[in-house]
Amino acid sequence: MARGLKFLRSAWPVVAALALLLLLWQFGAAALDIPTYILPRPAEITVTAVAKWPLLGNALMVTLIEAIGGFLLGAAIGIVLAVLMILVPPLEALLMPIAVVINAVPSIAFVPLVLLWFGLGMESKIAIGALAVVLVVLLNLLAGLKRPEADAINLMRSFGAGRVGILWRLQLPAAMPGLVTGLRVGLARSTIAVIVAEMMGAYSGIGQVIYQATGQVDYLTVWAAVFVASLGSLALYGVLVAIDRKLVWWR
Amino acid sequence: MPDPTTVPAATPHLQLVNVWKRFGEEPQQTIAVRNVDLSIEPGAFVTLIGPSGCGKSTLFSMIAGLLPPDSDGSLLLKGKVQQDGAMLGKIAFMPQRDLLFPWRTVLDNATLALEVEGMPRRKARAKAEALFPEFGLGGFEQHYPHQLSGGMRQRVALMRTFLFERDLILLDEPFGALDALTRSMMQRWLLDIWAKHRRTVLFITHDIDEAIFLGDKVVVMTARPGTIKCEEVITLPRPRDPGVVTTPEFMAIKKELLAVVEEESLKTFAAVPA
Ligand SMILES: Nc1ncnc2c1ncn2[C@@H]1O[C@H](COP(=O)(O)OP(=O)(O)OP(=O)(O)O)[C@@H](O)[C@H]1O
Ligand SMILES: [Mg+2]
Repeated sequence: MARGLKFLRSAWPVVAALALLLLLWQFGAAALDIPTYILPRPAEITVTAVAKWPLLGNALMVTLIEAIGGFLLGAAIGIVLAVLMILVPPLEALLMPIAVVINAVPSIAFVPLVLLWFGLGMESKIAIGALAVVLVVLLNLLAGLKRPEADAINLMRSFGAGRVGILWRLQLPAAMPGLVTGLRVGLARSTIAVIVAEMMGAYSGIGQVIYQATGQVDYLTVWAAVFVASLGSLALYGVLVAIDRKLVWWR
Repeated sequence: MPDPTTVPAATPHLQLVNVWKRFGEEPQQTIAVRNVDLSIEPGAFVTLIGPSGCGKSTLFSMIAGLLPPDSDGSLLLKGKVQQDGAMLGKIAFMPQRDLLFPWRTVLDNATLALEVEGMPRRKARAKAEALFPEFGLGGFEQHYPHQLSGGMRQRVALMRTFLFERDLILLDEPFGALDALTRSMMQRWLLDIWAKHRRTVLFITHDIDEAIFLGDKVVVMTARPGTIKCEEVITLPRPRDPGVVTTPEFMAIKKELLAVVEEESLKTFAAVPA
């Protein structure tokens, strides 16, 4: 009960802003006389979304699994790499240039290759999602791990702490805010990458629904898919904010 | 008196022989510490005083094993030469800044060293909790450092150092951020603890009264490059009560030390490059 209230209190600005946007859209478009085939009204889109829910709900499910899967995989790889680079500094000098080169190309550019390697199913989307996440988590976490100043590290050394002790009790906690930033950006990136990859080749998913509806000039369905995808992202973001609070518990 | 079974009376607890520390290369070299010879008896309370920037903290870093001294000199602990980093983990060192970890509660900051030593959390906490009233921190166990005043933070840092039980303690201006009243309370409290446990204490301060009131010996450093200007043995009887600071004996020592310290402080400011 109390938890529900707390959630409502923190969520209401988001809900209010969305409602306002939809209202402006609905009545603004009507007032300006914009034809519905150029800009359908939210009410119409909602009706379509409900009517096509079996298709859209299933697609959303697939997309969310891929986005979360890619995010988790990419975040795990990023975290492990950052920790290894801190424990074994030569690794950073060795791996960082490679990582930067890969990152210089938008992860979307790798979609055709990944489709070739992993097929049209979920695996290829998870791989692309992970690719989009690894570096941003790696860079943010690495910067966070390097944040403690020499004096704090020296304090730990004076207590006889070794590399791992310093990492565990000083560097990792100090890096949590940086990690949280990396995770937030990473989740958004993974969702985008997955949807775009679906548009380029998939059996299911929001991106594939958009692609097919576009081919059939069914723009209402395109819009409905965009709506559903936005709601899905919003829910994901909410979960992430809750996790962030656990990771940076002392603020 | 030191326990004769553990340390022969003749061996100093800590010995610095011709210790130097130079930072950077010629010609922009900063000599932070120059030719320091110092000998600390087991169980002694030695206070170290000197102008700002004369190398006191640098000296402490070297004693703690955090910074290697230049190769000309050597550092001996209980008569044994200590090579690079050999002092790490052997000395309770309280740095000048409190360096509390913002993500740990006050209690968990206090137990940091114990945890590093591998003591189970629950045991470490129980041990620390017992000290809270004594440090004037009762009721603040579950607070976070940003909720404390500067003086309270310093006391937490002091508690963290005390819980790391080593027989040589380095305190870098531990009472710098305290008001006069708390400060004098903490001084007496520190003397009590010291009398009870007889650990060897090296204590940096800017306050001459504090240096005399606490010390068996006051060591005065010169302006940078810092070396030892003089050592004054304080024979005021112990236990010392706060009234001792108004006695003629105390005043006489203070007058003498003030003159020396003032001379060095003036040098620090006169030496400002044009
Ligand atoms: N890592 C370093 N690199 C270069 N110079 C340094 C370094 N550490 C200290 N110094 C220099 O050494 C000198 C002594 O510094 P130190 O911190 O030991 O002084 P201090 O006596 O503790 O001063 P205070 O009383 O103000 O705390 C200073 O001039 C400082 O600039
Ligand atoms: Mg200092």
